[in-house]
Amino acid sequence: MTSTLRPAPAKRAAPPGAAARRRRRGARFLSPPWWFAAPALAIYALVVLYPSLSGIVYAFTDWNGLGERSFNGLANFSKLFDDEAARGSLVNTLLLTVAIVLVQNAVGLLLALGVHAKIKSRTVLRVVFFAPAVVSPVMVAFLWKYIYNPSPDAGLNGILGAVGLGGLRQDWLGNPDLAIWSIAGMVVWQFAGYSMVIFLAGLEGVPAELHEAAMIDGASRWQRFRHVTWPLLAPAVTINLMLSTIGGLKLFDQVYAATNGGPGHASETLSTVLYKQAFVFGNYGYSTAIALVLALFVAAVSMIQIHYLRGREVA
Amino acid sequence: MTSSYGTAALSRRGFLGLTGGVAAMGALAACGGTSGGSSGGGGGGGATLRLVAVADQQKPLELLLKEYTKSKFSASYAPTDQVQTSVRTQLGAGNAPDVHVVFPGDGSAMSMAQIAQAGLLADLSDQAWTKRIPPGLKPAFQKDGKTFLYSAGSSVIGAIYNKKVFQEAGVEPPTTWSEFLDVCEKIKKKGKVPIALGAQTQWVTQLITYALVPSTVYAKNPKFDEQMRAGSASFANSGWKDAFDMYLELQKRGYFNDNPNGTTLEQQTSMVATGKAAMAIQVSAVLPDFRKAASNADDLDMFPVPGADDANQVWVPAGVVVGLGVSARGKNVDEAKAFLEFLGQQQNMNRWAEAVACVPLTRDSASKIDPVLKSFLPFIDANKAVPFMDQNWPNAEIQPAHFAVVQELLGGRTTVAKALAKLDETYRKK
Repeated sequence: MTSTLRPAPAKRAAPPGAAARRRRRGARFLSPPWWFAAPALAIYALVVLYPSLSGIVYAFTDWNGLGERSFNGLANFSKLFDDEAARGSLVNTLLLTVAIVLVQNAVGLLLALGVHAKIKSRTVLRVVFFAPAVVSPVMVAFLWKYIYNPSPDAGLNGILGAVGLGGLRQDWLGNPDLAIWSIAGMVVWQFAGYSMVIFLAGLEGVPAELHEAAMIDGASRWQRFRHVTWPLLAPAVTINLMLSTIGGLKLFDQVYAATNGGPGHASETLSTVLYKQAFVFGNYGYSTAIALVLALFVAAVSMIQIHYLRGREVA
Repeated sequence: MTSSYGTAALSRRGFLGLTGGVAAMGALAACGGTSGGSSGGGGGGGATLRLVAVADQQKPLELLLKEYTKSKFSASYAPTDQVQTSVRTQLGAGNAPDVHVVFPGDGSAMSMAQIAQAGLLADLSDQAWTKRIPPGLKPAFQKDGKTFLYSAGSSVIGAIYNKKVFQEAGVEPPTTWSEFLDVCEKIKKKGKVPIALGAQTQWVTQLITYALVPSTVYAKNPKFDEQMRAGSASFANSGWKDAFDMYLELQKRGYFNDNPNGTTLEQQTSMVATGKAAMAIQVSAVLPDFRKAASNADDLDMFPVPGADDANQVWVPAGVVVGLGVSARGKNVDEAKAFLEFLGQQQNMNRWAEAVACVPLTRDSASKIDPVLKSFLPFIDANKAVPFMDQNWPNAEIQPAHFAVVQELLGGRTTVAKALAKLDETYRKK
């Protein structure tokens, strides 16, 4: 049966050149694995790809979500680059992404190294550190609004006061200079455990013999991490950096629930701007243009990341 | 079975064709489901009508739906932002609920004017209750002379205050701006926060300006909105500047709690209800929440914020409360309109108004008005009340711009002149 469905390529005289490659690729798409994937792909195409691609056309219109639409060329895109709030939100989005990628992965790696060690409570700790990742981001944001209560005797300020660090009390979400970093803090708190799990999977795959050999050679703990563990963690690093970058670039829930982009526009991100443009202001055309730019930007950054990070992975 | 697989090219093509066919049928079926609306109605014939409203409307609607027997309703309620997102999308797709929430006037994406302009709201002008709409409130209900909104009445913005804190400080509700500042000063000297401000909840930022602008703008120039639309007036050259200056004066004198931009509505409510703060400038619709948070609901009362030094020049904001409209493209237009006609009966308006602590659109001897709102009635009866400012703004971006500039003013990030310029720029957007 297999031979009837997919004749062994070796038995065929391989036609040379590009035409042969195209034919081989065509044959691959008609092979049984694709048959099984086809229903799921058809549904995916119907409910995700088709609406997404057909929505692109709205980026070139002035549609308000209710009435007729008329094409306005590239007006929405030129508006995007002239729009002070959108430009500010792009800067905020990039700052948040850099902060989240760096801190979340650093904390995740430290947690993974900690719970990978042979300590008694490591299973419990793994669950505890991962637990916030399964909670809805909106719930986490509401919880942190209480933690970030600006009163001197409540939440984080209360703890700082109690341990003699009252001078560090802040208006965490109300201070325009601090709001996005406070949001970054809550995102890191929630998803550092998620990064930890991916690093942990990588650590489990590092052969113990390599560590033993390095120890026999007299390598210190740091040298073993730097020259044995770290290179073998490269696939986990790739996945973590990519996921946290994408998560940072399209950050919405936490910002919307915690500050709604305020105070003023101090914590506005591209996602909150596109949401407001569509559902608060009724500028669906402009909002689609922002969404399109954001999608292309996320895709470009992800591809660049994959290209560079895959290159440093150890086979 | 095996042989059919054996004819690989044909079966693959057949399989893919079948899959594509199923997908195409699915797409066609989906399209058919969203395009079936027709105007006119009358075809419902005992159908269950869909009603989507905001959480604030749940209490009165549940009460009145129980008594309405002519049609069956499937009602759902959600917070304003969620309803705004879902209902507007349904309106755009042509499958809006038969009866749905509509915001009065203009100035928001779900406002009466913007939806009616797209031809998506049924005309209610032939209903008896529409003849009783007070002239001053007609812009909130009508576009081009036709009524598209049902609303049970008006809520007001004023100072919700804790009577115990006022008594301890030995002060009474003020009637002029100078008296208001004196009251705040005396409360501050007693070690209490005079005004709790939860400006992190963005819509709360607008309430102090809204409380002052009727006196600083409309008492002097009742035609301000018309002049704004005509382009002959601006925020920058009007009493809006005075209102912002007065807002910031309260902050400068230390009458707000610390860090208002980091304080939420819930924290503001708790501060007044527990007596940590003396008052909050708020809309009367939130009175039930303040009462719930207080150990004794009778400790709370309300007074109009005097935005002028001459008590005769004090005006108040009284905005039409969020209402309902009928989808013009629904299948049950007549049944839906009949329900709104039922809601428009005076006794039902009274019951709705009582449930949400607002002043009924029209009053009769049976109207029960929340005692804390009684100090506002003389202003309403003397035509010294104006709708909430955003209800007359021409686009949905001005109100959020107002939220943002107030937060920036409180955070010292902008000046009054720049804030007003930003509002003018946003107002002129097409």
